[in-house]
Amino acid sequence: MIELLGQAATDLLSLQTILFLFLGVIVGLVFGVIPGLGGTTALALLLPLTFGMQVIDAFAMAGGIMGAVAMGGSISAILLNAPGTAPSAATCLDGYPLAQQGRAAEAIGAVATASPLGGLFGVLTLLLVLPLAREIVLLFGPPEFFLLAVFGIVTVAMSDSQNLLRGLIAAGVGLMLAFVGYDDVHGGVRFTFGSNYLWDGIPLIPSLVGLFGMAEMIGLSIKGGTVAADTAAVRLDGVVSGVRATLRHWKVVIRGSLTGTLIGAIPGVGGTVATFIAYSTTKKADRDPDSFGTGRIEGVVAPESANNAKDSGALLPTLAFGIPGSAEMAVFLGILVLHGMQPGPAMFVDHVQDIYGLILALTFAAVLASLIGLLTVRWLAAITLVKGQILAPVVIAVSLVGVYAINLRPGDIVLAAILGVLGHLMIRFDFPRLPLVIALILGETAERGFQQSMMIGQGDWRIFLHSPTSITMLLLIIMSLSWSIVPILRKRMTSS
Amino acid sequence: MSFGTSRLNACLLLCLLVACSRSGEYPRDDITIIIPYNPGGGFDTFVRALARSLENHLPEGIHVVAKNSPGAGGRRGANDVFRARPDGYTIGAFNLPGVLVPELQKLPIGYKLSEVSWLATIGSDPYVYSVKGDSELVSIDDVKGLDRTIFYGATGPGSTAYIATNIFNEVLGIPYEVVTGYKGSSSYVLGLIRGDFDAALVPMSTARPYIKSGDIRALAIVGAKSDDPEVADAYALGEPKLAEIKVVRMIGGPPRLPEDIRAILETALLAALNDQDFKDWLQSTGNVAQPTGANDTAAMVAKMSEFYEDFEEFLD
Repeated sequence: MIELLGQAATDLLSLQTILFLFLGVIVGLVFGVIPGLGGTTALALLLPLTFGMQVIDAFAMAGGIMGAVAMGGSISAILLNAPGTAPSAATCLDGYPLAQQGRAAEAIGAVATASPLGGLFGVLTLLLVLPLAREIVLLFGPPEFFLLAVFGIVTVAMSDSQNLLRGLIAAGVGLMLAFVGYDDVHGGVRFTFGSNYLWDGIPLIPSLVGLFGMAEMIGLSIKGGTVAADTAAVRLDGVVSGVRATLRHWKVVIRGSLTGTLIGAIPGVGGTVATFIAYSTTKKADRDPDSFGTGRIEGVVAPESANNAKDSGALLPTLAFGIPGSAEMAVFLGILVLHGMQPGPAMFVDHVQDIYGLILALTFAAVLASLIGLLTVRWLAAITLVKGQILAPVVIAVSLVGVYAINLRPGDIVLAAILGVLGHLMIRFDFPRLPLVIALILGETAERGFQQSMMIGQGDWRIFLHSPTSITMLLLIIMSLSWSIVPILRKRMTSS
Repeated sequence: MSFGTSRLNACLLLCLLVACSRSGEYPRDDITIIIPYNPGGGFDTFVRALARSLENHLPEGIHVVAKNSPGAGGRRGANDVFRARPDGYTIGAFNLPGVLVPELQKLPIGYKLSEVSWLATIGSDPYVYSVKGDSELVSIDDVKGLDRTIFYGATGPGSTAYIATNIFNEVLGIPYEVVTGYKGSSSYVLGLIRGDFDAALVPMSTARPYIKSGDIRALAIVGAKSDDPEVADAYALGEPKLAEIKVVRMIGGPPRLPEDIRAILETALLAALNDQDFKDWLQSTGNVAQPTGANDTAAMVAKMSEFYEDFEEFLD
């Protein structure tokens, strides 16, 4: 393995390949920063360009993009509360409050440290478990998928103990939105009100742009002023304290990276869920969970460590079975096929060196993107000082162009606008947006998993107890529920 | 020459010019090819590679832009093509019988395949009756001999794999149940290896690497002749009509596409499919193309419609 890794590193270190990697990183950062665009779009645009390239160059460029979008996406999440990419949405929760307090540079410093660390951790884990890739992927069948989806929704919806009911209501709305469109299990189109646009369901990216970016900009326009509440308090030199804070919270980094790698490896669940779960678990494990959302640096460190670690995890099912772990991986799969590689059982035998090359490219890209982020943070953080009446129209216009550019569907713009208003109302009436998003993502997985389990088990509920994986998942759900409910019950008992 | 005739001549010349440019001008602009699936899949990659090859057989500077329009099992993409202006600047890829079946079921789909201006067939993908690699079953007779309901995995109802499973079992009289909802053929191959169900009909292009690695075992093949004596084909099973079960990939344009434009596109597509660079790419990726022209494609659509009409009751 070490030999092949060395060989892959030598391949990657040619001038031409490094140039492609650098190009990928720049493209990734730009596509990451603009809400709506993102790694999937960047890779889809790149796909036809890689035709004439050598495999290692194509991988370097793809790896550069995938490694860098996370950094770009989180920068806009922190500065504008508009996640540039879906997995960065979790970074908004504490990153944006930090920016409002004038600590944007510190938050970006934390991102620039946590994301390459998470990336490295993910790569190390990937190298260790690569021989077990098949076994890991095979652990998850329909019952396990159902339970995992329930676990994800429950963990996130109940993570705010002050606001349990509102969290559950938001998750319910998210589930309703998730069930719109074509039903893969029984066929038939549901809740589309006769609109072709809704056949494929409610798309995630326009929803996120609406719920976070648009909602924030609506709020900013109404309120006036700048993102940072007190412009005098804005410190552009907080980067170092951000780096230090991340290193101090090394346990959060490890937990986040582990969550990212594990969840990333489960096909169809993907990176957004990974970062949200990393955030929620860190919040729950903290002594003062209620202070999350007001600008805790751990709230940035946790999802960011998961954000880059997830790519390594997502490679497992993509390479071992040709089943993408995330939307980006689906497009990356196309690049593999284009270059004559058939993902599947033989992949780890025939193309090990190329895989190592890609893994190294991902790692270099994460580090390179962070360096660029650190070098530019001074100027970036100044965005929080721009007046709302200038910032809001620009951000809204750029976001909507990004949303439209994905599929060139006008409906996506309308959807982003509608959800922007919904998001704004949710902020005003203190409903958490996170449970809605996570339910929107996982609703389909939950439904499919449940229906298929019922078909496989011929209607017998005991199918959910058949494997050690599903029992573990059940226990996790119970733990997660009791973590939130038991303290409330105890409080009621003592007060009565 | 009087002023009148010169004006008449000018008019005639103008008409002639317009007429010439009408046929001579196409294509002046980039051509969009609609792919009815998400970017990154096997079909998507194939059509993107074809689009690139197609550019080499069109006038200099004309680009072929691939546009993904995923949704509802390929129906939305078909709809987009059908509704496009018949000017030759929008064409699309079709996957049959995937988009044919909802039409036979008289679902509200918004397109009629018989009216599509067919341009070319890319090729077809036969189905492999597969079981887990370590299964005790080695032939279809073994499956019949189990004398119990056989569980299959497939994509959604109305999908090609689902219908193929229904027809196969109905024709051979095997009692069956289908676990639906897997996202694509790679997903249900994974389900088969994991043991979610007994067997599955898997497109050859997906099954090949797993058969090679021993993860799954092929018991029969439909939609093509078998070249392995261990693996029965439709004829060996005694049901030749099962040979019609296969996925066929075609390129078509909106209805009422002018004949001259249709001919230009057909010629360019066939040249692109037979291009040596494209063939090299096919070989390096294990893909197969069996290109045929517009008339054969239209005939194939009609033939498939007839075949599936016979099995209408098993379509959903």
